[in-house]
Amino acid sequence: MSTGLEREPSVAVTEDELEALVGDRALARDDHLNAPGFVIRPDAVQDVLTDLRDEAGFDHLANLTAQQYADRYESIYHLRKYADPTQEVSIVVPTTTDDPVSQTAEPVFRTADWHEREAFDLVGIDYEGHPDPRRILLPETWQGHPLSEGYDQEKPQLVTLTEHANPVQPDHHDDESDTMFLNIGPHHPATHGVLHIETVLDGETVVDVDPDIGYLHRCEEQMCQQGTYRHQIMPYPDRWDYVSAGLLNEWAYARTAEDLADIDVPEYAQIIRTMGAELCRIASHMLALATFALDVYGDFTAIFQYGMRDREVVQDILEDLTGQRLMFNYFRLGGVAWDLPDPREEFIEKTRDFLDGLPAKVDEYHDLLTANEIFQVRTHDTGILEPEVAKQYGCTGPVARGSGIDYDIRRDDPYGYYDNLEWDVVTEDGCDNYSRVLVRMQEVEESAKIIEQCLDLLEDWPEDERTVQSNVPRTLKPDADTEIYRSVEGAKGELGIYIRSDGTDKPGRFKIRSPCFHNLSALPEMSEGEYIPDLIASLGSLDIVLGEVDR
Amino acid sequence: MTGGQIAGAATLPSVPPTVPLQDTVLLPERLGELTGLDGFGLGGELLATFIAAFIVGNLMLAMTGVAGPWAKRKITAAFTDRIAVNRLGPAGLFIILADSVRLLSKELVVPENADRPAYDLAPIVVASSALLGFAVIPMGSGIHLADPEVGLAYVFAISGIASLGLVMAGYASSNKYSLLGGLRAVAQNIAYEIPLVITGMSIVIFAGTLQMGEIVSAQAKPLLTIAGISIPSWYALVNPFAFVLFLVANFAEVGRNPFDTPEAPTEIVAGYQTEYSSVYFVLIYLGEFLHIFLGGAIIATIFLGGPAGPGPAALGIVWFIIKIWAVFFATQWLRSAVPRVRIDQLIEIGWKGLLVLSFANLVLTAAIVGLIA
Repeated sequence: MSTGLEREPSVAVTEDELEALVGDRALARDDHLNAPGFVIRPDAVQDVLTDLRDEAGFDHLANLTAQQYADRYESIYHLRKYADPTQEVSIVVPTTTDDPVSQTAEPVFRTADWHEREAFDLVGIDYEGHPDPRRILLPETWQGHPLSEGYDQEKPQLVTLTEHANPVQPDHHDDESDTMFLNIGPHHPATHGVLHIETVLDGETVVDVDPDIGYLHRCEEQMCQQGTYRHQIMPYPDRWDYVSAGLLNEWAYARTAEDLADIDVPEYAQIIRTMGAELCRIASHMLALATFALDVYGDFTAIFQYGMRDREVVQDILEDLTGQRLMFNYFRLGGVAWDLPDPREEFIEKTRDFLDGLPAKVDEYHDLLTANEIFQVRTHDTGILEPEVAKQYGCTGPVARGSGIDYDIRRDDPYGYYDNLEWDVVTEDGCDNYSRVLVRMQEVEESAKIIEQCLDLLEDWPEDERTVQSNVPRTLKPDADTEIYRSVEGAKGELGIYIRSDGTDKPGRFKIRSPCFHNLSALPEMSEGEYIPDLIASLGSLDIVLGEVDR
Repeated sequence: MTGGQIAGAATLPSVPPTVPLQDTVLLPERLGELTGLDGFGLGGELLATFIAAFIVGNLMLAMTGVAGPWAKRKITAAFTDRIAVNRLGPAGLFIILADSVRLLSKELVVPENADRPAYDLAPIVVASSALLGFAVIPMGSGIHLADPEVGLAYVFAISGIASLGLVMAGYASSNKYSLLGGLRAVAQNIAYEIPLVITGMSIVIFAGTLQMGEIVSAQAKPLLTIAGISIPSWYALVNPFAFVLFLVANFAEVGRNPFDTPEAPTEIVAGYQTEYSSVYFVLIYLGEFLHIFLGGAIIATIFLGGPAGPGPAALGIVWFIIKIWAVFFATQWLRSAVPRVRIDQLIEIGWKGLLVLSFANLVLTAAIVGLIA
């Protein structure tokens, strides 16, 4: 466990230095609200990104946004530093509409692999030199690119029967190799949703893993682009990571939109937000713990049920607070929907009761789970994710912290009330499945600390100063072509949102940076060469929610 | 079906005069006397044997019926803070009936490329191999079908046939998960059958016989007497080390946690039984529970004094069933509390750990028994 004080400070790169570094490869400046932006030629992508990574320390490709304007396509590489995510730079790569070809960034950042596949799939930009230029969310037979201009939604997707082969049908059997191809999923007890993993086995050993996602793609980005900033978007984030991380997701949108439209949030509302978000984190980590135990134990065992039982208490508290158990829709731009439920004392006492009982429960988990020798044998040194590999894949959250990467948006790029509270960022150096479990268990305790402090503050807050919302205009119309990328620490990692406004009351482009998407893409690195049970355990330790992976 | 097969093995009465047996008269003979069937020659004896086998088989099946749909749920629920079935009948007991109707009325789906005779035979082999084992188990209260001189060897051999059923199921289902499960089952059974039998042999050294009836009566002798209370020389007390070894090997043998790798629901869906539905599924499920009970019966017989217990000898069957259920309870306890080991770890534990220990136990037992004698 470490605190922010022990970290090596990262040398801040000034804008002048950046400009000098990019040099004459920059065609123009295109600054975003959160970061300086440089427009570069499509054939200089690898050059510039390599320089930024190696010379200036921008080792985190946080996001890649692709979009189409009337006259051009654009890929935006949002770069950050793991050491300090407030240092950001955006690299904007425009391409022509006739020939949207751009150089791939995959050799510089492995995570660009999946991102560029998605950009091709939804927007239609080709990435030259990409090692695997397939669609990723939509089926291979899909016609057109849904987020591109002039895409006809009404046009039926007519696919001939032969073309539309069953994606899990191919057997990949040949007489020469000794390997066996195995479809794990889309319907399998351990895929945590609808995930299809194409696996090649040599006996029980995993030779090759290729996660096939998109089964739960629900056009979340497009739906957000069709909603108004003020009210219509907020319900959607609840549906990304739907296993009780709702408020954390809502905060991602709230933070981005508030920064975009320059909205203040009353301190009182920030405390409620912080408390609610951490309750969600506990609920989410409890479920992660329970299902990981399910994956390793193999049955609905005591530890699974205990996890569900304790999560249930959190859900009750959240229900009291928000009126909902799953789709909270509790945050508003500029605050939260309403104050703590009446009677206040009862709510605070109920939450305190839960927190008081938590240490004993965590001890119980340690007794049952982490102290169990078979569990240790199963999880130690399996699913190894080296920190450098994790950074390459853009892993964040407990997955990164389990690999010793000291990265937590709550502390490094503070928002809400986290800055004023006493808590620690948990890291473990094991890089294995066991470390990731430990990180989650300790984070539950840290979250409890945060909630405790929030409750103290809320309890003593003067009655006439309990403002839950600031004054926000009925209609929000940020200036045209304002661009922003903002992120929060979701339950699974850095949950970010990129918004480009187009002058109307709806976003021009709304891009979600899903932590699960990145974490899942590292699965092959973690599981190749290990046994099938370890593949399953590694998948469980990533704690993915397919709703967020596919969006 | 199974009754007829048991009948063949049921005519080997052997009562050595030196050791007093608890059940000197086997069930088929007693039935023959009671009903007067023994007056009809070989045909009458066969019929009496058949009836006896029918009774024993149904007793075991009834226990499985209680265990599978009801007791298992209740026990697991108690471990995991739940209530489980409680809507139908007292304590939800009638769920047994409802579940039987439900399971038997399901559609029987047979995969297109299934290897037909093997696919159909597998569930029968799995279930019947366990039932056959009960033929030589002395259950007390006079319920004992046959007592051949090779009883212990017979019971190991018969229960080993189940592996064949699992391979058949795994191979014939034409499903990769089934195949993986079948292969795991074989690897596991081979790795654990040997320690199981070797540990069983150390008991044979104590008892000096393979005959189940005699193993039981040998345990009736008092081990020591403290303050007037005589503790019987159950082999679990005489050699607890062997008892633990046997218990562990038995869990692996019947494929229970932490050794349930052949099914491993989160890894290979349901292993060899993935493609089985309806009646076939019931048979395989039944077979699994019968194997747990058979494992419990063997443990009870060779380690826990068989049907011995306080009270009159007529209560033997009650004590015996309690002992079997204790073993069953242990499997469910482990299921709720212990993670599954990985397949390679399982094989390692079997070959490098249990096998060595069981041989050490055998050699030590032989040496000690030799010295005392």
